[in-house]
Amino acid sequence: MSFDALDLSILGPAFFAGLLVLATHVPLGQQVLARGIVFIDLAIAQIAGLGVIAADALGWEPRGFGVQIAAVGAALAGALLLTFTEKRWPEVQEALIGVLFVLAACGGILLLANNPHGGEHLKDLLVGQILWVSYGQLLPVALLTVVLLVLWFGAGTRLGRIGFYAIFAFAVTASVQLVGIYLVFASLIIPALAGRFHPARRQLIVGYSVGVAGYATGLSASALFDLPSGAVVVCALALIGIVAWALGANRKQNENV
Amino acid sequence: MKILNRLFAGLMLLIALPAAAEIKVFACEPEWAALAQELGGDKVSVFTATTARQDPHHIEARPSLIARLRQAELLVCTGAELEIDWLPVLLRQAGNARVQPGQPGYFEAANHVRMLEIPARLDRAEGDVHAAGNPHIQTDPRNIGRVATALAQRLGEIDPENTDYYQTRHRDFVQRWEAAIKRWEQQAAPLKGVRIVVQHKGFPYLENWLGLREVAALEPKPGIEPTSAHLTEVLEQLRRQPAKMILRAAYNDGRASEWLAERTKIPAVMLPFTVGGSDKAKDLFGLFDDTVQRLLRALT
Repeated sequence: MSFDALDLSILGPAFFAGLLVLATHVPLGQQVLARGIVFIDLAIAQIAGLGVIAADALGWEPRGFGVQIAAVGAALAGALLLTFTEKRWPEVQEALIGVLFVLAACGGILLLANNPHGGEHLKDLLVGQILWVSYGQLLPVALLTVVLLVLWFGAGTRLGRIGFYAIFAFAVTASVQLVGIYLVFASLIIPALAGRFHPARRQLIVGYSVGVAGYATGLSASALFDLPSGAVVVCALALIGIVAWALGANRKQNENV
Repeated sequence: MKILNRLFAGLMLLIALPAAAEIKVFACEPEWAALAQELGGDKVSVFTATTARQDPHHIEARPSLIARLRQAELLVCTGAELEIDWLPVLLRQAGNARVQPGQPGYFEAANHVRMLEIPARLDRAEGDVHAAGNPHIQTDPRNIGRVATALAQRLGEIDPENTDYYQTRHRDFVQRWEAAIKRWEQQAAPLKGVRIVVQHKGFPYLENWLGLREVAALEPKPGIEPTSAHLTEVLEQLRRQPAKMILRAAYNDGRASEWLAERTKIPAVMLPFTVGGSDKAKDLFGLFDDTVQRLLRALT
């Protein structure tokens, strides 16, 4: 164990990145779970990655504003496509999401077949390393998060299908570059699962609590035991999620008796 | 967390007090950690960012990396863009002014040797090519000797009180090192002109030192996984012009070279590549003892 890495100035930016991701992903995750389309974030992230590779192939400046536009543009296009398919073939929506995911992944591999640097961009985008986050990077994401949350909680059901998919595309494209795809998936699904058996009005609170506790314990544990942070946070989220889920299940059972 | 932090910082200070004078060295690769330890003796404490089983081009972010770099007084890395994927961002996160590029605390080994394979033109289509030349300089012991001279000098600049100590240790090291190089060169004489296949283009300095002749590489371009078409091409080439062995570094995945070894009946050789890459490569001397032995064993 080493205590010298347990330093707020080292773990602080990573923790704030986690809070920003949780802010949008906890409510989005409940929707995703309710609609039964849990793999949508993998697909959207992968399509955003495809946009980055395409921008790279066009010779655009890596890590510049243009690349962000390409990523969001691709993700929005993917989201629009999924809106259409959900309307048209709702019964196979999840299967179509899966197909879209592998297609986007393979498209990326083919575009990158001869370009090791493009591969790094893709890896950055999908397996972003949460510890490398800086406060400067967080500012635009924080602004975006505020806008998305206002839209989400302000418009409510008026957002409709297109609104949901569009907000989702923006949120995932931003968060996946900060913390990587594993953490995005975990932040989206685990808090939503953990809240399932709790009363509806409290699900959001349970989800946020699980998320914040997961990031805090995960980052501290990764500092103490000197392990890669992203993976430890995913494990911590799962553990705390199970506890919250069990508490909810227990309560529900007692109510039913 | 802050209170806990202070508490433990205090505790750490108590434990560390007798050794407070030690120069804290942050080494990117194990070979430079070993060299800093050879030269610095008990006046330095060395932290190594990567292990021999890791590809030094990439690294997983761990909090301890930032913490160690923040405390470091001297950073020793290969340079020549080997660590370009992770060192700049790590330096930014650590925010330690003493070890930023240009400061005395920032030491790049590649600045002190003659670089090989400097590309005439830089084209990203050529794969993971480094503008400054091939960065895997540690496979030639003569390069280690050159870096040792510069590093002993730098240690003296960082820690002027102990300049004599570092110079004495350096003289002692150089004496043992040159004798060892002579021994290795004698042992490795049969390797001169031997034709080899490499997995990653990681051995030009070793080839240059021992007179090995690289006839093919399994990666079609540096950093790109071997493809079936390229492997078939290599196979065809080896039918016409056979080679004696297939080299890979300890951190490379062995499947491609095993695949080729099976089809061509040429032995596949795993080289430690850096300190810790094999059981015998415990220090710099062991690294080259083992490298030369493994090459000779494949020859017979």
